[in-house]
Amino acid sequence: MELKKQTLGSLREMLDTKQISAVELCKEYTDSIKAKNPDVLGYITVTDDEALKNAEKAQEIIDKGEAKALTGIPLAVKDNICTDGIRTTCASKMLENFVPPYDANVIEKLKAENYVLLGKTSMDEFAMGGSTQTSAFAKTRNPFDLTRVPGGSSGGSAAVVSAGIAPAALGSDTGGSIRQPASFCGVTGLKPTYGRVSRYGLVAFASSLDQIGPIANNAVDCGTILNVICGKDSRDATSANKPVEDFNAKVGKDIKGMKIALPKEFFADSTDDEVKSAVLAAAKKYEEMGATLVDCSMKSLKYAVSAYYLVASAEAASNLSRFDGIKYGLRGEGRTFDEMIRDSRTRGFGDEVKRRILLGNYALSSGYYDAYYLKALALKQQIIKEYNEIFENADVILTPTAPTVAYKIGEQETDPVKMYLADICTVTVNIASLPAISVPCGYNADGMPIGMSLVGRKWDEATLIQTADAFEKTFDRRYSEV
Amino acid sequence: MDIKTIDHLCNLSKLNYTDESKEKVMGEMSAIIELMDTVKEFDVVYDDTKDNNSISYDEVRKDVAKPSFPTEKLLSNTQPSGNCYVVPKMVD
Repeated sequence: MELKKQTLGSLREMLDTKQISAVELCKEYTDSIKAKNPDVLGYITVTDDEALKNAEKAQEIIDKGEAKALTGIPLAVKDNICTDGIRTTCASKMLENFVPPYDANVIEKLKAENYVLLGKTSMDEFAMGGSTQTSAFAKTRNPFDLTRVPGGSSGGSAAVVSAGIAPAALGSDTGGSIRQPASFCGVTGLKPTYGRVSRYGLVAFASSLDQIGPIANNAVDCGTILNVICGKDSRDATSANKPVEDFNAKVGKDIKGMKIALPKEFFADSTDDEVKSAVLAAAKKYEEMGATLVDCSMKSLKYAVSAYYLVASAEAASNLSRFDGIKYGLRGEGRTFDEMIRDSRTRGFGDEVKRRILLGNYALSSGYYDAYYLKALALKQQIIKEYNEIFENADVILTPTAPTVAYKIGEQETDPVKMYLADICTVTVNIASLPAISVPCGYNADGMPIGMSLVGRKWDEATLIQTADAFEKTFDRRYSEV
Repeated sequence: MDIKTIDHLCNLSKLNYTDESKEKVMGEMSAIIELMDTVKEFDVVYDDTKDNNSISYDEVRKDVAKPSFPTEKLLSNTQPSGNCYVVPKMVD
């Protein structure tokens, strides 16, 4: 079976028509993981024994004719989502041996479908980064070119889907961490509206921005997973009390008359020409389908990266203060309480995490709070206002997902400022709590994937999936050769 | 960004740096703060009455005691346990 080309739909059909059993399907993937993961390094933990047991259980349900959308479907999960009894490291030495005593809400929901967990995927440490090279355990490589980064922070989740060693995966997105790796690895990634999916059991980075979402081979598969994981959860006060709808309900409907906005600042000089050309060619394709292209502007974009890093780092500094070496996690040494905490944190956290904590505390400290943190919150309000203005005359917004394609490992991860600026195309979506989907839309001269992002109104994931699917049906998608 | 500020931030953050690595991180943080300084150029003021991310307290769960996780499970990630929560020995 050519695993890379399988969709959740095709697997569901094979399982339901008994062309393959859930156990056989699980073995196909676990064998493939054994063969490819040493090159891709997408997984931190592979749960093959447990996967087989769950596949057997799923098969019983399929045999009874009671299968749900994800029954017997193997999936991978980012290693910052808590899984009861399965190590959850956040790719950090701090949590190297942490085994959560409970499941995240999204895992409870997947278990209720009798899904099959293949393993926990690598990521940038505590989801802070865009390359997956800050992982303490598995510095994931891009399946399209193993000398390049897969993006991040959900680089492991995107790479395992791209390499065909999982048909889909869960990631988390705080400033582009689902969409950018999906773009770099040539797959589809959906960041839902903030509040659509419960964050209970997601190890917190920046609580006002974090959101869990799917990475898959196409937009419809993302919708299928979102259908399962969304919904109000009383343990996350920010999860929204919205009716659970079918996010694939608009798939196949005509997009004629749809208004697609292109904010000019996203197509500036800092974006590679090949990326611009591919995204503008996709816009042209939409126009041929009957959509109307609308020119627009987002004046505050040039301040967005700074506003994002100030807010996210301030929240991270607070959230990561729980890692003190006392309750759980790595414990350092010291003669006093203060020495022990400092030693635990100094040894447990990597360089990038430390930089973000320093920045967050800088922005929140006396004398700087008004100039940095409050200013960043003001910019957040401005960005929301500008998005609202654009949506007065548009149904979706089209932008590049990243200014470049995946770059060579070691090329820019050591320069924090360069890394931060590379998030320019994605951070405003998190700041404004909006949904967005990244879809492959082209390849550069080296054959590396280019992604475009469709941004929607709050709670309008269904239109995004409809619009993304319309393009995917016309696009000649390539697969990695790993 | 100077050594004094870095020392202050290390205290707030509960992190240690050697003198050598402090020089390196000072350079990195200076470049990062320079980037963050761009927010000062934008003439806009935060209005806390317009913050649209507030939580509806009608929807917050009731403060009612419910069965929680088994103690054994919660202690599984602590240091040498038994049925105890061991904190490190400190001598001030």
